[in-house]
Amino acid sequence: MIELKEVCKNYGLTKALIDVSFKVEKGEIIGFVGPNGAGKSTAMRIITTYTAPTSGTIKVGQYDVLENPLEVRQMIGYLPETVPLYYDMVVYDYLEFMGSARHLNGRLRSRMDWVTEACQIETVLHRPIGVLSKGFKQRVCLAQALLHDPDVLILDEPTSGLDPLQIIGIRNLVKELAHEKTIMVSTHILQEVSSIADRIIVINDGRIVADGSFHELQSQIEHENIFYLAVKAEHEKVESKVKSLSGIENVEVLTSDESDLTQLRIHYVDDNLPESLDKLIKKEKWTLVEYRKEKLSLEDTFLKLTKATKEKATERVVDKETEAD
Amino acid sequence: MNDVLIIFKREFNAYFYSPIAYVFSVIFIILNAGIYMFHFFFYGNADMREFFAILPITLALIFIPAISMRLWSEEKKLGTIELLLTLPIQSTHIVLGKFFASFAFYLIALSGTLVIPIVLFILGSPDLGPIIGGYFGAVLLGAFFLSVGIFISGFFNDQIVSLIITSLACGLLALVGWQYVPMVIDGWISGLGDFLYSYVGVTRHFNDIQRGVIDLRSIVYFISFTGLFLTLNIKYLEGRKF
Repeated sequence: MIELKEVCKNYGLTKALIDVSFKVEKGEIIGFVGPNGAGKSTAMRIITTYTAPTSGTIKVGQYDVLENPLEVRQMIGYLPETVPLYYDMVVYDYLEFMGSARHLNGRLRSRMDWVTEACQIETVLHRPIGVLSKGFKQRVCLAQALLHDPDVLILDEPTSGLDPLQIIGIRNLVKELAHEKTIMVSTHILQEVSSIADRIIVINDGRIVADGSFHELQSQIEHENIFYLAVKAEHEKVESKVKSLSGIENVEVLTSDESDLTQLRIHYVDDNLPESLDKLIKKEKWTLVEYRKEKLSLEDTFLKLTKATKEKATERVVDKETEAD
Repeated sequence: MNDVLIIFKREFNAYFYSPIAYVFSVIFIILNAGIYMFHFFFYGNADMREFFAILPITLALIFIPAISMRLWSEEKKLGTIELLLTLPIQSTHIVLGKFFASFAFYLIALSGTLVIPIVLFILGSPDLGPIIGGYFGAVLLGAFFLSVGIFISGFFNDQIVSLIITSLACGLLALVGWQYVPMVIDGWISGLGDFLYSYVGVTRHFNDIQRGVIDLRSIVYFISFTGLFLTLNIKYLEGRKF
């Protein structure tokens, strides 16, 4: 549904996007993740035809963004990050204007009723937009994006500035819409991505750093395995014994000196470590308190992916080629 | 055409959302009528020559910039330009809608000064030709200045900056058509003043029309310059890099 091929965008000397390529299939929800200034909004502005790319091709549906911008615009519902609205207008008039500008004609009334209900803005329908709270402004802007029942939804940080209840409301709405629409959501709130998106595209410094489901991304960076171990025994002894096992890369001691509990993080490469560790504990008769395999949290995954951008500059080329296969 | 109407409706209504428009219309009418009344009572002539003599300057310096400043600057400041330009409407239609909305608002304000000819007809028997010519010229002049204003407004986020730059640009256009200014310029670079006076200066063409000499060249001058600036505005939007 959306296809970017080697898209670059320069603002003067600043490179906002470098060789960005990805494809979004019909019906997919894409989480577009990256730190501030990574190029998320720029990419979205290019897809929505607001900004022209410096080079590369972008297709939405069967239309090229540069050649058939009007057709592309008709297909897209766009919620910009800044939530731009005409503050002097009444919500109802605003929606009416946006609807007629998108050529809804006869469908205008029914669509307006639908979005007012879906976005829960009935109570503010006849008030000027300028006096509304941030949450309502956000929802009015979302209503505008859904008004023409677009095939593609581009939502740039749709939940920023909302309270938890409203966030859940918008998430559920997005999930509901997902059956029939292609949705691209940018965010830097990671829980959001893992809860709604089928696929995550991580962007950093204008480059695509990773692309895949959350679990794929996790496994992509989990080169090493980590065990967390807590036993009741002397620190030094435990540390030296564990270190002497084969296949250990590194052992981090997490315990403070006073407690009799020894906590370790064991980075290992040998797959047989669980067995040998188990044997060791039994042999030494340590009291086992906790023993688990550590998983990278969402934040860790994100940090590792974005941090590694520069180091992986060369590796990525290889990754891309294999992805293409 | 329908698209132009949709944009027109929103833009035209937008003038009445804020008090600025009312304030400026009142100032415009009072200022023009006031300056004219001084002359009227002093000489006691039942004509509007003096009114149309100062009109290009008040339009250029205050009124037109005040109408045109918000057309793009407000959109840029609020960020609404991002949604406006991603609507399935051609840039040409958006620009035309905005232009005609400001033009309609200008015509309403201008019609407020129609009180003067009404008073003149009650008190005496003024010559109708120059008055009709004057208003016809004012309509063309307004369209021209507004097209300059909408073009300039596209460059700035700040309405006040748009106002000042438009006021400068329109003021200059009015001045080079003022008889004495081209003479001074001619003194510096011979021929330039004359060229500006004949081809660029607004006031000259306006004076021709308001004298009742409706010369096709003057009409072509106004319409083609209006078209030029509107086209420039459209091209600027289409080639935008922001």
